[in-house]
Amino acid sequence: MSDYQYDNQTVKGFIVSSIFWGVVGIVIGLLISIQMWKPETNFAPYFTFGRLRAVHTNGLAFGLGVGAIFGLSYYIIMRLAKRPLLFPKLARFQLYLFNVGILLAAVSLLMGQTQSLEYAELEWPIDLAIVILWVMFAINVFGTIIKRKEEQMYISLWYIIATTIAVAVLYIVNNLSIPAGLTKSYHLFAGVNSANVEWWYGHNAVGFVFTTPILAMFYYFLPKSTGIPIYSHRLSIIAFWSLVFAYLWTGAHHLVYTPLPDWIQTLGIVFTIFLIAPSWGSVVNGYYTVGTDWSKMNTNYLTKFFIMGITFYGLQTVQGPTQGLRIVSQLIHYTDWVPGHVHMGTMGWVTMTTAASIYYVIPKIYHTEIYSEKVANIHFWLVLIGQLIFSITMWITGIQQGALWKATNADGSLKYTFIETLTKNYPYWQLRTVGGLIFTVGMLFFIYNIYMTIRKGSLAEAKA
Amino acid sequence: MAEDLDNIDAFEAKETSHKLPVGWLILFWGLIIWGVYYFVTYSPAISGWTQTKAYEESVKK
Repeated sequence: MSDYQYDNQTVKGFIVSSIFWGVVGIVIGLLISIQMWKPETNFAPYFTFGRLRAVHTNGLAFGLGVGAIFGLSYYIIMRLAKRPLLFPKLARFQLYLFNVGILLAAVSLLMGQTQSLEYAELEWPIDLAIVILWVMFAINVFGTIIKRKEEQMYISLWYIIATTIAVAVLYIVNNLSIPAGLTKSYHLFAGVNSANVEWWYGHNAVGFVFTTPILAMFYYFLPKSTGIPIYSHRLSIIAFWSLVFAYLWTGAHHLVYTPLPDWIQTLGIVFTIFLIAPSWGSVVNGYYTVGTDWSKMNTNYLTKFFIMGITFYGLQTVQGPTQGLRIVSQLIHYTDWVPGHVHMGTMGWVTMTTAASIYYVIPKIYHTEIYSEKVANIHFWLVLIGQLIFSITMWITGIQQGALWKATNADGSLKYTFIETLTKNYPYWQLRTVGGLIFTVGMLFFIYNIYMTIRKGSLAEAKA
Repeated sequence: MAEDLDNIDAFEAKETSHKLPVGWLILFWGLIIWGVYYFVTYSPAISGWTQTKAYEESVKK
């Protein structure tokens, strides 16, 4: 048995846990998409849209997302540092605590306990547990990197380090609150300050959960899967430093046309637009890398996942900054355009890249091959079609919604009542459920493929 | 069974490892210059523009 066997099992544990929470989060997502157009599918008090929506976002960001990030970061760090984790038992304990934490978080949200801060709904006792969990992660990340046996640090390690530091800072600062009992607290910041801190956190959660760790995976697993080295090391480094520098300034673009001082909004918009450059640094690097041999799109089944993933990242990082501009924000902010935008990132970029990384890792851990490339291809096309239906329907209805809200009569009164603008969403909301269903079926093909690969690997190991 | 560890050299293309595409450089510097312009134009302390004034003008039309 190699020194890595124990750590590999921890990595696998995180991957399987993240897939489990992924299923829970996606099924709930499907249900709340139906609740939008069929109110009788709300089951009060626990299974109403208001409570389930937070279970959906937290379950997928922290359950699927962070679970996969823990597991895959450990896998990447060990291989680039050329050594096992510094504290293997701590990582295993972290895996158990992670699952207990996500379970408690889901239950508390269903009970209706919330800080009323988007993506930071969890109350302070669970926040404390999450901070402990993150400190455990940080100890292994930094410990293993410091004690590494390879001097040079590849770009993926930098992205993992940035993730570890930034999430800690963001999470702790935005969750500072004054407890009023075990299940209730008040945000330390008030009024417009609270909003500013909240969206500094909210936007950078996207940056340091859905961007930097996923780029770590992209830069690592793309060359590993294809055998093609990354086109430009310099470009990857410059893109990294300019990305982490600019990201933390951008949160105010969520507060355009609010009481937040004008100059803070403007500053937020400036950094937001600048972010196109570092984001596209990674996009260009990815294209140029595979561009040296496009035949890999046919011969290696994972290449298309990475190329499609980075393509959606590229689209996301143009669309997102554009939304920050005042002229665009005043039309689409607060409309259904926004979930359309978010889900291109999560379903297109994050899930596509993470799934491909898991496809790569699971067979490696078991020293076997993937169960079926054909099933993986079906998975690819279904999630692609499902995600496109989701995003495109929401963009259309979002523009419609914004235009109807803004329409005024000659005397300045509103042309449409709120309910009129709402009912026009129904056909698009129904189509979105169809898209979500197709995406979910695609994910089931993925899970089946991973399950069969693990089974095949375990059987082979038992024989050996 | 030997674990496959990484040879860092295999990750970075030799001939192109220091290249920065020209188009990307134009984007990078272009956005910085645009950022300066935008900040100057839409900062109340510099240009006098404010959200409230812009709103009032739009209502007048």
